[in-house]
Amino acid sequence: MATILNSPALYAICGTIIGFVAIVCVIFMIRAYKAGIAAGMDKAMLKRTITSSVTFTILPSVGILLGVIALSGSLGTPWPWLRLSVIGALHYETQVAQAAAEQVGVGSLSAANMTPVGFATIALLMSICIPWGMILSFFFNKSYLKKLQGKNKDEQNTDKKAGFGDSAMIAMFMGLVSAYIGSYIGGFISGEGLFTFKGDLTPLIVAIVSAVVMAIFTYFAEKKHMVWLESFSIAGSMLIGMLAAVFI
Amino acid sequence: MENKEYLEKYNRGTHIIGRIVSAVAIFLLVGAPFLIGKIIGGMPDLSAVAKGFISVGLIWTISSVVEFLVYTPMLGAGGGYLAFITGNLINMKIPCAMNAKDMAGTKSGTTENEIISTLSIAASSLTTIVVLALGVILLAPLQPVLQSETLAPAFANVVPALFGAMAYQYFRKNLKLAMVPLVIMSILFILVPTLISQTSIMILPSGAITIALALFIYKKKGTIEG
Repeated sequence: MATILNSPALYAICGTIIGFVAIVCVIFMIRAYKAGIAAGMDKAMLKRTITSSVTFTILPSVGILLGVIALSGSLGTPWPWLRLSVIGALHYETQVAQAAAEQVGVGSLSAANMTPVGFATIALLMSICIPWGMILSFFFNKSYLKKLQGKNKDEQNTDKKAGFGDSAMIAMFMGLVSAYIGSYIGGFISGEGLFTFKGDLTPLIVAIVSAVVMAIFTYFAEKKHMVWLESFSIAGSMLIGMLAAVFI
Repeated sequence: MENKEYLEKYNRGTHIIGRIVSAVAIFLLVGAPFLIGKIIGGMPDLSAVAKGFISVGLIWTISSVVEFLVYTPMLGAGGGYLAFITGNLINMKIPCAMNAKDMAGTKSGTTENEIISTLSIAASSLTTIVVLALGVILLAPLQPVLQSETLAPAFANVVPALFGAMAYQYFRKNLKLAMVPLVIMSILFILVPTLISQTSIMILPSGAITIALALFIYKKKGTIEG
């Protein structure tokens, strides 16, 4: 089964789709760059945006690559390669693949149990659970943004309200991160029975290590003016946090 | 004036291209499992897909709708279409676009922000595609090392590592405010541990509480930072 899932035909199918998306990205990038110049934006700033986004992405991408490798054990390399290059996110793919494996009766995600039907089913479920962002964008991106813009115009006089969007984003992130960190705390304290303190402590320790490293990065970036560090701070903190898990 | 016309044309073009490529991408991604099924000799079991969809898909559908509503205003048109096609929003594209926006100092909803965000997401997506393509080719021989049991705990904790780093980044903006959802969520998960598997849904109440409190602080002080 592993040889079929890693066959050249599958590489070709997945590679073609990834290639299509890569071309789309190039088109969007060129168009935005040209529009930026037309809008009178500083060329250096546009270039810096690109380079900082590239450096920002390299390390997390290596993390995603590790995700491809992690999933390739049961699903072969091409399919996880496609899923994680293009649309998915590691936590999503893993969760859905596992749920699908349970439904098809393959049990846990493992190469030994995989069947052609099992694989095709898992692959399809991975595809249909997450395209809503694209579907919603297709139908509503334009009208939604237009509506928001109209709102912004109404509120232009009252600067205060127009600026709350950014604060709301920060608040949303606080809520999101709190939900996950709360789940690690809850998992440790009650994961193996209410107030038994016997659950898995690893995620919480990893999160704390990663936060401390992030604080150190931020200190050097802000106080010592090593701004270049900012591009590596999230990925660097993550890797050191993940490394901590190995030693627990 | 010429520039304004150009930018309007650019905007219209973005929506046309964005819609076409979104539709093509959906078609390709949903079509691929059938094509692969034909090659490997087993078509998808549609009833299992339906059951699986009910068990996990509904949750992701809700979170996709929330993602769309929350992130689209931040990403703008071009960035939005691209980000939803290329994925990895929360762990990469959003922090990446926020970072680019901070560096460029642009405000949500402006043309400059639209351009910076599109450039940022496009560059980020291409980087991921290149890194993964190189990795798949180069790392194949290294698979046994990377899949070793010693390193397994590290890969199992990618998500906590991400949220730890992000916690520092966002909590420091207003620690008191952040403590509210953190304490509420912790107590909730301690008392009802079965909810832990539904964390992605719990983001909604947690985010809603924080945004409501943020709005309250914002109305009083004009900013939530501090």
